[in-house]
Amino acid sequence: MQQDGSVLLEKECPEHGHSSVPVWRGRIDYREWRGDLPETPDSLRLDCPNCAGICGEHQQGTCCALLEVTRLCELNCRFCFADGSMPEPELSDLKADVDRILELGGRPLIQFSGGEPTMRGDLPELIAYAAEKGAPYTQVNSNGIRLAEDEGYVKALADAGLSFVFMQFDGVDDRVYKTLRGRPLLETKLKAIEMCGRYNVGVTLVPTVVRGVNDGQIGDIIRLAGALSPAVRGVHFQPVSYFGRYPDTPGGDERYTLDELLAALRDQAGVMPENILQSRCDHPLCGFHGSFIALPGGELVPLSKRGGARAACGVTTAKQNRDYIGSRWKRGPVSEQESASAAVDITSLDDFIKYSKTRGFTISAMAFQDAMNLDIERLRRCSLHVYKDGVLMPFCARYLTPMEESARDAIR
Amino acid sequence: MEEERKLKCFKCGVPLEIQTVFLEYSCNSLHTDLPVCPVCGQVYMSEEMARTKAVEVEQQFEEK
Repeated sequence: MQQDGSVLLEKECPEHGHSSVPVWRGRIDYREWRGDLPETPDSLRLDCPNCAGICGEHQQGTCCALLEVTRLCELNCRFCFADGSMPEPELSDLKADVDRILELGGRPLIQFSGGEPTMRGDLPELIAYAAEKGAPYTQVNSNGIRLAEDEGYVKALADAGLSFVFMQFDGVDDRVYKTLRGRPLLETKLKAIEMCGRYNVGVTLVPTVVRGVNDGQIGDIIRLAGALSPAVRGVHFQPVSYFGRYPDTPGGDERYTLDELLAALRDQAGVMPENILQSRCDHPLCGFHGSFIALPGGELVPLSKRGGARAACGVTTAKQNRDYIGSRWKRGPVSEQESASAAVDITSLDDFIKYSKTRGFTISAMAFQDAMNLDIERLRRCSLHVYKDGVLMPFCARYLTPMEESARDAIR
Repeated sequence: MEEERKLKCFKCGVPLEIQTVFLEYSCNSLHTDLPVCPVCGQVYMSEEMARTKAVEVEQQFEEK
């Protein structure tokens, strides 16, 4: 830790020498955020990235299991974690994968990912199969293009029992989309939200935060998302990581850390850090979440408070985490949904219960790791697992990409 | 409400009256109308309410 409260992760490699990368910039108190989590000693000699699956040393179960269902995608984004090398799987193989995930993972939330999963016409059938086999929640990670253009497809997904959509949503103007995704997409995203709302499928907006591109739009994204509640269930920020496909190797200054995001939420959106809780399922440096009610008009009423009732109590299990995010991101039955009244008294018990059910809103984040900032202590607590070739692996181990020589030079 | 109108305070022996009360949980305060003893101020919350609405509020504030 530096004098200004920032934290550097420093590594020594017998082959590549010394490297140093910022993991915290001192905007929020690091020690208070990290809490009482014991440090993982080097003496354990853990080698998680080379472990084939979840081993006995792993400290968390499977909250969410990600399954890539296609390598196809309409876009060619600057940043993408996905594996573009696999052949197109058959539906029967994917159903077998679902069976195996449920067997291995203890009924996790299943994320159907890609590529762009909506490139598959048979995705509704796969989702229906997962629901029938006992997956408690199903999620589609999507760019929203087909959801905007093909209403029949959205209806089919809803009829199949899809719980919610995780929708790539990087900003509130097309400059951002042209920069990160190669084409203007804002109108498409808004149309996709409208379509999902029409069929009662919750949408969580997922911005990839890139310094100098959209880190100035964090407040705008929150305001737009709040105004689109209850169709939009929240925003899940992902500070950019450098694995899979990325344009340039970053210097330390380019990295966007979780505490910078917390500070931006405070400064740009008025969301106070004390209403955001560090992850207790994954590692505190891997993510956070805060629960809110989005009032008609978009104002956010905070429910979570750091140091509150149970917020500081030990580790959250993968099942608890899954049930939390599932209940927050999924919309309730249409029959329970009240038309929004202008005269909401959120301090009254009855209005509070009504609106917390129908207009729940969650601000969350996940900071993925790459070869430069990979920390075994964090990896060991990972509850987001990727399924491939018969095994579940922590997300950041599965998608770990070797760093180019130039990258090592850049961070020395 | 018919049943609640018949409630009496065990200590004071007087009928309870419906009043607005503030329920505090985890530094948050919500108001609702409940039977209250006009003499000693004791509030009556039915078992049904404790098992339904009170639990729902706790779950919202308690997170996971």
